[in-house]
Amino acid sequence: MQRIINALVQFRNPILYFFLLGFSLLFLSSRSSFHQNKIGELGFYFSSGLYKFSNSINQYFDLKEKNRILHQENTQLKALALKKNAPFLYDPYLGNPKRFPFKIRNVNVIKNSLLNQRNYIIIDKGTEDGVQTEVGVITSNGVLGIVKSVSKKYASVISILHQDLKINVRFKHSNAFGSLVWKGKGPTEFSVEDIVSSAQLQLGDTIVTGGMSSYFPYGIPLGTITHIENDSNSGYYIMTAELFENPSQVYAAYVIENKFKGEIDFLNKEAKP
Amino acid sequence: MNSITLKTFASFVILVLFQVFIFNQMNLFGYINPMLYVLFLVNYRFDRNQTLFIFIGFLLGFFIDLMSQTGGAHTIASLSVSFLRPIIIRNAFGITAELPKSFQSDPRIINKAVFLLFFILLHHLIYFVVVYFSWDAFSLILKSTSLTAFFSLLLVVIISSLFKPTK
Repeated sequence: MQRIINALVQFRNPILYFFLLGFSLLFLSSRSSFHQNKIGELGFYFSSGLYKFSNSINQYFDLKEKNRILHQENTQLKALALKKNAPFLYDPYLGNPKRFPFKIRNVNVIKNSLLNQRNYIIIDKGTEDGVQTEVGVITSNGVLGIVKSVSKKYASVISILHQDLKINVRFKHSNAFGSLVWKGKGPTEFSVEDIVSSAQLQLGDTIVTGGMSSYFPYGIPLGTITHIENDSNSGYYIMTAELFENPSQVYAAYVIENKFKGEIDFLNKEAKP
Repeated sequence: MNSITLKTFASFVILVLFQVFIFNQMNLFGYINPMLYVLFLVNYRFDRNQTLFIFIGFLLGFFIDLMSQTGGAHTIASLSVSFLRPIIIRNAFGITAELPKSFQSDPRIINKAVFLLFFILLHHLIYFVVVYFSWDAFSLILKSTSLTAFFSLLLVVIISSLFKPTK
């Protein structure tokens, strides 16, 4: 107590000064509306900085929920974008000419691998959310794989990083088509097979999904060509492609389901002798 | 009440009245109002109680503000200047030399001039900063400060030379 009083006595001049200064500032702001506004602005300047800070912290804790909402919104946008890519079947005067029988759901990847030659992925939705077997899984910048088996709440996906999986592709600026296969090298390094050497292609051409299979619609961009070699013996190109997205680092994905897949499979079966 | 206190009190009242009724109405060249009441803060004895002086400086500005219907600019300026006066004295008269007892009794003219100049410039600067209170008026603040300080300085020198220093 004695020390406090001593300190008060020692610093009595600054204390008195700041007390009177505060009083005169109050006096100033009560007498002049200009100064009142100015002082208010000053207070607002500091408090807005504080609000910004607290807001950024709150936003950080909201991120999970925000991500979920964005993912859902992206699902709808993805459907619109893919529908726009769909080829015209007949003249637009005759009504909506595009056929887009796909339904899109958002899922999250909960287990991913790239170390094996045949990799599998687990996603966090199953039969309860309407995911079925034999449907495609895509990401924001490419293809992730095909659903192999489904449980109640989870599903396992054959990753695109699987040596036996072939995906039908074509080129953005050329109608040549072939298939995309992983050779077990880097996670974005793929080879493109079965493209006849008469097709006009260049380095850097973009590969998109071909739409020939019932899994994926036409026009999902996958990657670019990084190496072309014309093999004159076989009559096919030997090509390497680089994917836009590393499939082993994906978290958000979309299950894309073809409503008419049963019909197509039936016809395929019938056609075979 | 001894005679020094009485004189101080009388000069306080007279300077407030002069400031409010004469010098605040001058409007030299349209906008210059010299501030003579700084003379009181200059002449107040240096060896008196500093705490009391801060309070008197506050009261001086407060009365002028009250009577001339202005905001709190005079209050803040004279309060701040009375708080900072020991620092200005130390810088103007030197730390090693013996501190003078009052402004008028000291014989060193250059030191007195420096003290007066700094004191008045600081007072006017604080006053105009509070009056304009905006970064946009920076050049205006400097202009008003320098011009008004010049006339205040002139007045303070003239008026204080009219009265003989008290012993």
